[in-house]
Amino acid sequence: MAQSRRFTLKRKRRESMSIPELLVFLLPLLVFVILLYGMLAWTVYVSFADWQGVQPTYEFAGLKWYRTMFSLPRFQADIVNNLRWLVLGVIPTVVLALFIAYLLEIGSFKGVETYTRTLILYPVAMSFIVTGTIWSWMYQPDRGVLNTILRGVLNPIRDGLGLDPVLGGRYITNPDTVTYWLIVIFVWQYLGFAVIILQSSFRTTELQEMIESALVDGASRFRILWQIIVPNIRGGILVLISLLLISALKVFDIVYVVTFGGPGFASDVLAFFMLIATFQQHLVSMGAGLGVIIFLIAFIVVVPYTIYAFRKWFE
Amino acid sequence: MKSKSRTLTILVLVTLAFLTVAYVLPVYVVFVTSLKTPAEISARQYLIPSTNLQIENFRTSFDLILPSLLNSAIIGFSVTLLCLLVGGLGGYYLSRSRSTFARVLFILVGIAVYLPYQVILIPLVQIVAATGLALTHWGLILSYLILNVPLASVLLGTFFLAVPRELEEAAEVDGASKIQIFFRVVIPVALPAYASTAIIIFTQVWNEFLLALTLATPRTTTIQIKLAEIKGSFVAHYELQMAAALITLIVPLVFFLALGQYFIRGILAGALKG
Repeated sequence: MAQSRRFTLKRKRRESMSIPELLVFLLPLLVFVILLYGMLAWTVYVSFADWQGVQPTYEFAGLKWYRTMFSLPRFQADIVNNLRWLVLGVIPTVVLALFIAYLLEIGSFKGVETYTRTLILYPVAMSFIVTGTIWSWMYQPDRGVLNTILRGVLNPIRDGLGLDPVLGGRYITNPDTVTYWLIVIFVWQYLGFAVIILQSSFRTTELQEMIESALVDGASRFRILWQIIVPNIRGGILVLISLLLISALKVFDIVYVVTFGGPGFASDVLAFFMLIATFQQHLVSMGAGLGVIIFLIAFIVVVPYTIYAFRKWFE
Repeated sequence: MKSKSRTLTILVLVTLAFLTVAYVLPVYVVFVTSLKTPAEISARQYLIPSTNLQIENFRTSFDLILPSLLNSAIIGFSVTLLCLLVGGLGGYYLSRSRSTFARVLFILVGIAVYLPYQVILIPLVQIVAATGLALTHWGLILSYLILNVPLASVLLGTFFLAVPRELEEAAEVDGASKIQIFFRVVIPVALPAYASTAIIIFTQVWNEFLLALTLATPRTTTIQIKLAEIKGSFVAHYELQMAAALITLIVPLVFFLALGQYFIRGILAGALKG
């Protein structure tokens, strides 16, 4: 009894912050959050206005620019490309990361783990502009690294067999495949990040014990991965998928620096089109509308994730 | 659950070999190329290092990007410091208060962490241009600050959650105010958290492209913009492009190699698993 009373007293004291204290801790953050959401509301309003050209106009125009936007072939192509990014940027990354993380867990020997982590994690420190600059040259069809190596290795063999020499892939100059090759860059860059997050969810004692006992029961390694590990790290996988989805949605730097949306607008995405519409075509209201669409897609991903984080935080 | 099965070992080795090629080859070729002459690059022996190392390539690129390196450093350090201050205070509030207001604020901050920059870009350009901030580094510093304070709050707050309350209670019994407790008790314990957060924020700002592209003026051009510019204007000079890419990469890479543990902890805290 006495103990529980002391406990409540303590709790009460910890809860209370005086007004000046509250201001010091809270005010700076609050100012930035208000600014941020203020700007968000501003953009939403602009998307319903009729702002073309350099001078701002805030005259209300309803859905005018959304209608224009939806009817544009470029917008429809962007939606398809964004879907490609969301599916192909995320699923292969998660599957590969799961495989690597599991392999490190069961088959690793001395030094392998540190080596692998450094090896695949360093791109996390790189910007998309650096990666894009490097990979543009890898992909360049004529003098690029990939095709040069491909020809160097394959053509002597084909020559010996009496076959015609190969030229190699067209990669980013082929409108049908360009988006896929850009996604490869993204997967390359995010794989290490994904492995780190999955590894940390592997490392709980409960899970390790479950795996131990499954091993004793003679379960195969694949079954352990599929039936014990995956269901038990659902939380970690969901977090990872959310983070990757948001990153894949926001990708714009890779497109900008490698293809500038081309050939034509074959590799265009919403995030890139937003920039072009706003600052090149000066269709500011439509640019704002594109921003709102990107935000809404991100919102669908972010809200469940935020609720998950909220539960962990206030548990 | 280590195991000594032979198939497993072979699988590990094959995977390692594949990853090594995929992750070393690009950087190796970039490095080797950055030290060649254009004529040597035309010979297309990309895997073979030059015997006649062109250190000047780095000097040429460095001279081209030095002003923007300085701009990025000024902006990166200012944003990081201010983010640590504001994010630390806000994160502490979020990690200690259980009020409804704190809960609502957490949701707002949590969504703000992942806000696509496109959705605030137009007002931001208006504000920065109208206030004249665009002409100085403050335009970009303020913009990055607005966008990174939520992340800093969540990262630091996640670490503060793990700071034992007993420490604070002891100080409270001695009559210290919350502010004193925060600066004298919590911050010293949470210094590694500050290191992690600083690295994450700095790298993010250093690597950012979209805002820099729309807000930077010739006097405040950041390193990423400059690199994209070099890629565009020295199309055939792969040696200069690659040298510039390496210089751009060096700062975050040094952080990553020297302070890898903090980096990883920051990433995990960002994924709310710290």
